Amino acid sequence: MLKVAERKQPQHNIATEKALSAKKLYLALSQHTGKPSQPCVKINDIVEEGQLIAKDDGYISSMLHAPSKAKVTGIGDYYHPNLGRAQTITLDCVDEEKKYFEEKRISDFSKEDLKTKIKNAGIVGMGGAAFPTHVKLSPPKKIDTFIINGCECEPYLAADYRLMVENLHYILKGVELICKIIEPKNVIFAVEENSPDAIKKINQFKSLKRINLPDFKLAVLKSSYPQGGEKQLIHSTTSRMVPPKGLPFDVGCLVNNVATCFAIYEAVYLAKPLTQRLVSFCGDALETPKNIWVKIGTTLEELFNSGVLELKAEPKKIVCGGPMMGTALDSLKYPILKGTGGFLFLSEDISVEEESTCIRCARCVDVCPMNLLPLEYAKLTKKEEFEKLDNFNIVDCIECGSCAYSCPASIPLVHYIKIGKKYGSSK
Amino acid sequence: MAVVSSSPHLRSGIKTPYVMKQVLIALLPAVIASIIFFKQLAVFLILNCCLSAVVTESIICKIRKRPLALYDYSALITGLLLALILPPSISWYAATLGSVFAVIAGKHLFGGLGYNIFNPALIGRAFLMAAYPKMLTVYVKPFNIDAISSATPLALRKFSHAMTPLGDLFLGNVAGSLGETSALCLIIGGLYLIIRKIADWRTPLSILLTIGLISFVFYRINPTNGSVLFHLLSGGLLIGALFMATDPVTTPVTKLGRYVFGIGTAIVIMVIRYWGGLQEGVMYGVLFMNAFTPLINRYTRPKRFGS
Repeated sequence: MLKVAERKQPQHNIATEKALSAKKLYLALSQHTGKPSQPCVKINDIVEEGQLIAKDDGYISSMLHAPSKAKVTGIGDYYHPNLGRAQTITLDCVDEEKKYFEEKRISDFSKEDLKTKIKNAGIVGMGGAAFPTHVKLSPPKKIDTFIINGCECEPYLAADYRLMVENLHYILKGVELICKIIEPKNVIFAVEENSPDAIKKINQFKSLKRINLPDFKLAVLKSSYPQGGEKQLIHSTTSRMVPPKGLPFDVGCLVNNVATCFAIYEAVYLAKPLTQRLVSFCGDALETPKNIWVKIGTTLEELFNSGVLELKAEPKKIVCGGPMMGTALDSLKYPILKGTGGFLFLSEDISVEEESTCIRCARCVDVCPMNLLPLEYAKLTKKEEFEKLDNFNIVDCIECGSCAYSCPASIPLVHYIKIGKKYGSSK
Repeated sequence: MAVVSSSPHLRSGIKTPYVMKQVLIALLPAVIASIIFFKQLAVFLILNCCLSAVVTESIICKIRKRPLALYDYSALITGLLLALILPPSISWYAATLGSVFAVIAGKHLFGGLGYNIFNPALIGRAFLMAAYPKMLTVYVKPFNIDAISSATPLALRKFSHAMTPLGDLFLGNVAGSLGETSALCLIIGGLYLIIRKIADWRTPLSILLTIGLISFVFYRINPTNGSVLFHLLSGGLLIGALFMATDPVTTPVTKLGRYVFGIGTAIVIMVIRYWGGLQEGVMYGVLFMNAFTPLINRYTRPKRFGS
């Protein structure tokens, strides 16, 4: 793995704030991995906060809820951070906040009840991949190890860290629910060394030995990239290796991000669907970086217009996600998705440089966490010999960006890999 | 308007010219030693080779309609390395020719930097070995450059069974190619490259260990074969192991492959030193293994994650 400049300051130490009164919300039907949701509201409908507005479509899909009391004003094409444009429900919001109260008797719920509640709350993996959580919680094989992913290995981002520092109790209540569903033998809470306050809090909780919270092992891992990647995390905590094309359950593991655990707590205890999340806004073009609770569907534009975020310089680069794997955006019109943990606003773009020839220094090989030969992908893709890419197991690539980060010739390796995967698989 | 490009949006900041500059810095001790030992011969030879390489590079880039790539320092490194592995007393025209040949045939005929199979500086030397064999076997002693030629420690061992004191080998007070004589200076430079992570330690280490092992066995059989330290410190071994076998372009990209490359190079070197007609085998050892690099890469791919 790779040592990258973490750039976590000052956002690591900036307490969260709330910005939950959006005027307009843009809710993409593709918030998740799998089939887009199907709208179940019409234009001009008035929806209540938390009301279902789009149903799941098929097994790997998810539900979508109104984050606010609102009028449906559009169902159509809109900006989508990862897809460019996608089908989106537009809501004109009424400023009215619903109160959620903790339900007490959760012990009455069976495993199936819990899974249904999680499914009906539209919960997806909040670490980035946005895989529907209820599917993950119904593995075809026995899970013996559940890993709580508190490794926010992307530079800059601090949302998961702040969530652990401020809401650890609720995260652990979510963990308890997951444990109830999958009954693992071991529970491992994985965080990186660079998270001192979170480690302190977790240790405090452990020493309190609350009876109603599950026992777990704290694993403090080296701060390296991509430590929070599912396969890397499983390897770092259990020494097990997920086989090529395999999934964590193949080695008896389940990994959930801390924010997902928190969302599960809210879904079950508060009967609150996933309609808001904690997002880190970072980068040197911002007046101050912030960690903000925002409603899903809020656009960056609105956050700037309402004064929640302030620019101090023209951003040359806007990134949805972290700097290593995030998507560059061309404007501020994009909405926040369920899987978006952060945005970057950089006053300088250092990543676009003219590529020079590969000197075969093998830095890309040395840093690849999947033991691949990234230089071959660039070479073959440039020669359009896509059929040979499979010989180098291009499917294994997780596009973490370690290779392109390290390349002294500024070769955009991830770019070539994405092209290679696209054309290689179409044959 | 914000820039849209593929991830990642951060870079390490280490660029090819920086990498190349580090190699030049690492060669400085050997350059200084060569100037102390061989005075004006060293200055002229280094200037000659570097200048010819850089001028050739410029002309070829112009002919090939490529952007002038001098900023990457690779031509300069080729020229400097060639100067350091030639006899100090070589005629100026031979050195110029070797340098021009190194850049043209060693690099650009294959497609330029990154595409060459063989180490360009060694190609230059191999060419001179064929063109002017006599010049490449005549060496002078340090501090005594006007005197008649002197045999190198490897030649002394091979042809007259005479052993050179190890202290002289270590400091460089022996006859030999311009920059190869001082083991101390080369080790300083090599360690610098390894510590700065410019060169991988695997290749030099496996070369040195294999040489050590082979020479240990043969020294036990017959002391006139030369001791372990004698073989490690003499000839072009250190400059070859630390600066030629670590050239990224012409050596394997896999970690396992670097061990294979190192072991193979060492075996060829020792075969030539013991049984070959030449006194020294580092050049052919490295060139020979350069040819095998694509094959080594192919059969030493890292194990797939999780398989």
